[in-house]
Amino acid sequence: MSRRFVRKGDVVRVTLSEPERELLRELPEQLRGLYSSDDPDDAVTARLFPRAYLDPTEEAAEREWESLVRPEILREKLAALELVVVALDAASPGRRGRLVVDLGEDDVAAFLGVLNDARLALGTTIGVTDDLDLSVLDPSDPESAAYAAYGWLTYLQGELVETLLGKMPG
Amino acid sequence: MTGAPVEAPVEAPLELPLEEGEPDVEESDVTDRPWIVIVWNDPVNLMSYVVFVLQKLFGYSREKATRLMLQVHHEGKAAVAEGPREKAEGDVARLHGHGLWATLEHPS
Repeated sequence: MSRRFVRKGDVVRVTLSEPERELLRELPEQLRGLYSSDDPDDAVTARLFPRAYLDPTEEAAEREWESLVRPEILREKLAALELVVVALDAASPGRRGRLVVDLGEDDVAAFLGVLNDARLALGTTIGVTDDLDLSVLDPSDPESAAYAAYGWLTYLQGELVETLLGKMPG
Repeated sequence: MTGAPVEAPVEAPLELPLEEGEPDVEESDVTDRPWIVIVWNDPVNLMSYVVFVLQKLFGYSREKATRLMLQVHHEGKAAVAEGPREKAEGDVARLHGHGLWATLEHPS
């Protein structure tokens, strides 16, 4: 079984089928919409942009921190979406009809962030818990497509993290 | 957290990266207690990803990052860093930027 992510020097090469590339290619658009949500009660927005202080007596510090940090984090996330779009659109033909995408260091970080944010958004929406068992998916469940996507993105992020951990001090 | 548990080494006392030396008295508020950075468990974040982020952001060894991650996983939260308010706020921002939920508080 071929490994999804292969390190080639400073580049990480990922192999994808066309449907997989299409699924990933939809994520930046979906995340862009979520990042710009104005709804203060939105559970996904709350998870993507959480509070720093839980202590209610620190509300002033919270407001100041949010005003400085939120725009910066948003800017970084939006930049990551752009990198992922460019990288996926630059996919080239690989073996056996699949596609290969070469990710430089910045692309890898962007890819990782987009995968994680997509999983946070999906996971919050479908109510993922610690004991979620993806092996018992019921195709007739209207949410089964979301569960399947979540499961595959989880697998993909896990593969990427393993590849990156292999390069760090053990 | 998601994912297969990573092997943890034998229990060792949790070491926080305490600031070395005396604080600059002119710049710091002598009544300003230190702040600790807490990472909270959530069911979406992969255990391996939490280890990766802790190593990347704080330069922790695999052993220390794994120990902290397991504490988050089993106890619901763990203190991963400590320092003056501004540093802790920066740590929280970087953790949020990597999709981990973190908060800062005074040690209880």
